[in-house]
Amino acid sequence: MVQNYVFPATVSEAVTVLSTNRGKARIIAGGTDLMLELQDGKNTCDVLVDLTQIAELKNITEENGFIRIGASVTHAQAAKSELVLKHAPALAQACRKVGSLQIRNMGTIIGNIVTGNPAADAAVALACLETTAEITTQEGMQTMPLEDMYAGVCLSCIDSCCQVVTHVRFPVKQKGQGSAYLRMEQRKALALPMLAVSAMVELDGDAFKWARVLIAPVGAGPQHALDAEEFLKGAPLTSATMAEAGQLARNQAMFRSSAIRGSKEYRMGVLPVFIERVLQAAVEDARKA
Amino acid sequence: MSQFEYVGKSVNRRDGVDKTTGRGLFTTDIFLPGMLFAKVLRSPHPHARIVSIDTSEAEKLPGVKAVMTHKNGPKNLFNAAVPMFLTIPQLERVLDQLLFDEIVRHVGDEVAAVAATSEAVAEKALALIKVEYEILPAVFDPLEAMKPEAPELHPGKGCTPEGRNIPAEIVKIPYNDVEKGLAESDVIIEETFELPVVKQVQMETQAAVAQVDGDGNVTVWSTTQTPHPSRAILGKIFDIPAGKIRVLAPPYVGGGFGVRIGLSGKAEPIAMGLALLAKRPVKMIYTRKEDFIASDTRHSGYVTIKLGAKKDGTFQALDMKAVLNTGAFCTFGAELPGVCGAMTLAIYRIPHQRYFGHSVYTNCTSAGAMRGFGNPQGNLAMEQAVDMMAEKLGMDPMELRKKNIMRPGDPWCLPYPCGTSELPECIRQGAESIGWSRRGKLNEPGSVKLRGLGMAVGTHVSNAWPFCVDYDNAYVTIQSDGSAQVASGVPDIGTGTSTSLVQIAAETLGMNMDNVGLTYGDTLGTPFDIGSHASRTCYAAGTAIKAAAADARKQILDYAAGYFNIPAERLEIKKGVIAPMAESLGECSGSGLCQLEEVKEGKGNSVTMEELAYHAHVRNKQFIGVGRIVPENAPPWHACFAEVEVDTRTGQVRVVKLTAAHDVGRAINPMIVEGQIEGGAVQGIGYALSEEITYNDKGRQQQYSMHNYMLPTAEDTPEIHSIIVESHDPTGPFGAKGAGECSLVCPASAIANAVADATGYRFKKIPMTPERVFKALNS
Amino acid sequence: MPNQIISFRLNGEVIEIAVSPAEMLLDVLREKMHLTGTKRGCGKGECGACTIIFNGKAMNACLIPAMRAQGADIQTIEGVEGEGGLHPLQQSFIDKGAVQCGFCTPGMIMSAKALLDKNKSPSKDQIREAVGGNICRCTGYVKIEEAVEDAARNLRANAVKGGDL
Repeated sequence: MVQNYVFPATVSEAVTVLSTNRGKARIIAGGTDLMLELQDGKNTCDVLVDLTQIAELKNITEENGFIRIGASVTHAQAAKSELVLKHAPALAQACRKVGSLQIRNMGTIIGNIVTGNPAADAAVALACLETTAEITTQEGMQTMPLEDMYAGVCLSCIDSCCQVVTHVRFPVKQKGQGSAYLRMEQRKALALPMLAVSAMVELDGDAFKWARVLIAPVGAGPQHALDAEEFLKGAPLTSATMAEAGQLARNQAMFRSSAIRGSKEYRMGVLPVFIERVLQAAVEDARKA
Repeated sequence: MSQFEYVGKSVNRRDGVDKTTGRGLFTTDIFLPGMLFAKVLRSPHPHARIVSIDTSEAEKLPGVKAVMTHKNGPKNLFNAAVPMFLTIPQLERVLDQLLFDEIVRHVGDEVAAVAATSEAVAEKALALIKVEYEILPAVFDPLEAMKPEAPELHPGKGCTPEGRNIPAEIVKIPYNDVEKGLAESDVIIEETFELPVVKQVQMETQAAVAQVDGDGNVTVWSTTQTPHPSRAILGKIFDIPAGKIRVLAPPYVGGGFGVRIGLSGKAEPIAMGLALLAKRPVKMIYTRKEDFIASDTRHSGYVTIKLGAKKDGTFQALDMKAVLNTGAFCTFGAELPGVCGAMTLAIYRIPHQRYFGHSVYTNCTSAGAMRGFGNPQGNLAMEQAVDMMAEKLGMDPMELRKKNIMRPGDPWCLPYPCGTSELPECIRQGAESIGWSRRGKLNEPGSVKLRGLGMAVGTHVSNAWPFCVDYDNAYVTIQSDGSAQVASGVPDIGTGTSTSLVQIAAETLGMNMDNVGLTYGDTLGTPFDIGSHASRTCYAAGTAIKAAAADARKQILDYAAGYFNIPAERLEIKKGVIAPMAESLGECSGSGLCQLEEVKEGKGNSVTMEELAYHAHVRNKQFIGVGRIVPENAPPWHACFAEVEVDTRTGQVRVVKLTAAHDVGRAINPMIVEGQIEGGAVQGIGYALSEEITYNDKGRQQQYSMHNYMLPTAEDTPEIHSIIVESHDPTGPFGAKGAGECSLVCPASAIANAVADATGYRFKKIPMTPERVFKALNS
Repeated sequence: MPNQIISFRLNGEVIEIAVSPAEMLLDVLREKMHLTGTKRGCGKGECGACTIIFNGKAMNACLIPAMRAQGADIQTIEGVEGEGGLHPLQQSFIDKGAVQCGFCTPGMIMSAKALLDKNKSPSKDQIREAVGGNICRCTGYVKIEEAVEDAARNLRANAVKGGDL
């Protein structure tokens, strides 16, 4: 049962509180997932350490060739941010799809990663952008690539009782690059995706220079469609290429059957068309710049 | 232009300010001094015997004031829904529920209830209750439950010997000779359709607050759609005379759609039982999950249609069967199969028909009333069969329907006449709206996204007769200041009856609506009414109110006639002023409106209601109008048209536009009727495409929250066009017929037909989820 | 567990109240302050019935830890009506028939108000996004969208005339 609720003014204060409470305190940013877990008894803690008053965590900035997003940045903020729309349309599209506007006004991008939910929209988009997390503990600061942050399904490598993910960052968009996000959903609001894909491409004339293609939920965290990515290197920019990539994506798609979110057969069946469509959208974005 | 002052006008709702400012109180908003909070322990098993239950630790927890289980709960069998008191005399009532039983029959069934000083304490107490279960074999599909080896859910409680686990009776509707009709048919279509479990998901969960006074009088605020029958049910559960129980809406109810025709789940008796034990008021509010798993759903099941027609499209025979899953308790399981059959048999003019249908007990959440009450299930099957017939005959499905739909005066299986129908006009306007002539020309070869057009027609009722007992009473009293007070036992569950009924009263009385008050939804101040359901409130309760108002009006005019010195029939009341219908007999002095004495002296020609009422009052007289009616019945008609787009690569179906044209007789308040049409249309889209509750092999509901039950959000809503066509039925007040449920009868059928038109594939099972559509198109 | 005193602006008035660190804002509003206009439809942020405006943004009160209200500017349905009468949104909801059972209505109005406070010319898509997280089972959303458009029109007209909404 939560006994205390504190608002540190700096990151350093936050880690100190975590450290002092030896595992009985945990970080809360948006709280839209955490509050439900506390109510359901799936999580307990004595102290909640609220990050939303820490000034440096509230922004989306462009610094040193990176777009940097703070821990308090909400989905609503990101979906409308000019920087995000320009450099990472995949992320803006993904954030727009989370839950409802009420949830987007409260829930954070980084929270979306730290819950470890494999179907978390923002995390799937970040995975195609070569994202790195900046983590602070009592011992100091470290970085971690996004793909290393998943310990299992709904299990993060981040221990919110002693670590604070303060920012995530990804490189600014270069010429010829584009990204996109697509999901398969049972309705247009208040629904988790049955299937989510993101793609980032770099074009070189009439060919793909490279592509990053991510699929979820197919395990802990978004998974690279490795065979498709390999195939797309240097491949000609045609519908046939994208269709083939779609088929190849199935090789890494370990869908399970879910009573509520679709059978394995169905998700495997429609994955190729979503891969095709997200690649087409990423290409269109690349061509715009 | 309407010839009426109020009827036919989109008068603003009276409860609009309360509801838009948050001032309006719902059951969940009630706080009473000393109030306790109730929580319920529910079975994790679909079928089990409670071998032992130990509540001693829970009782000791500080803050816990009462605990109830089968050991100390009331022992009277009941039916939580109104059939307990509204079953027609020819049938045996099915009473198969105990407040707490030793046997639990579905996941979520009540095991124990606790009243404590806070919800948190009550929850803690539940965790301290120790229950030992003996697991019993369970069955979830109605066809399985009818097999001889299936476990019996309610032995000895009124099941028919004609089958296993079938409550009450099998409904059989014979109409001439169906075998002969089939033999005379050139083409026969036979198909079985499967319908899912869906849920009302009204926004306010089941709730009740119960308070007992020192004399044992009980007041229960609740979300019920039927205060009077619910009061009677509570009386029987607890062996307390109904006269000592008051059931009322506070006054607002957050929706119903049939989920509380009778008790609101078990909220009322649990709150009341704990209040009696604790001697303090008790509030019981279902969580959303409890509302999903422990209150009535729609009946799922199997409907089989065998339709025979001549080569020229004339329908000859209809043989219909239905096996419906009524879940763990019967509630409406006896009546609903009858409505399913009758409403389907009543759409078309078919000389030979037969219906055979019934419910079956299973270890699922009990199924009961949900908007449409069996009609949507039958309609989905029938209207697809009609399209299949059209295809086989090479006819346009609209032309096939126009050829066969009922016309006023045609014979049918129902005990009341088909008095009015504007269905042809509904079809005409609906077809125009959707652009029916584009059908068959919508897709280029090789398109990935295919478009299709589909339609469906249907009928319904304007009250619950002959399926249930149905009668209404109302009274109208004129106060000494000339204002009117109407009393009716129906609550307003959101359908605007607290406005529409006043329109009817004010129109009949000839008074300004502002001067007409309505007491409603409270057993204390109103005479018996069977409640807000069965699309009956305007038609039936409205007729009683019209009769009461007419009675009061007659008394007023009879009284006035003596002073005007003309026959009462030549007087009228208009905008609250009583005056002769003919030319004026002379001028008044002063303000233009006179005293009765002046009128008598020939010095004036009109009086206000206020003047007259006060005049009568000081001479010891009040005008009291009473209306006691048994309603007739009249069929509303509806035609629904849908345009869909199917993404063949993902299986996603998008409704592009839905048009719903309704003959509701007369729209007492057109804006309110449109609201009913639109609301039902969106529920229909959910029924067709995304809503479903499924069970795993352990009997656990897989969908039980707003998050995983896929009802449409605002972002999913297509263009919806609602059309009202009026037929002015002489049996309804000002020509009105039923409206409330009608809008959910046809949309899913129209969408299914549109999907078939788009893809060439006919879905025998709904919802047509992307997965099912994808599988069908890619196998 | 010890309550803490927090202070925030509620419907324009600064108030102080003791809350538990484990409480949600919705419970504080309904159970402690008896402001029952904000409804509980699901308690899990899945239906929008408890929508309030928190620092200018629509949020589900059932998910906001009460402690976070400290220093915030919070509007509930009770604060929407002005001195001069109903807010245009409230009037439009009534005039356009967007109210049926009324249980979703406070949340709907708060979502719509959060939009119109910032944007008096929203597109249809923006209106749908604003109320996409508010479930209504009665209306089919049709008249709700019409009401928001109507209110936006009136607010624009008022702004032109120099009204202070």
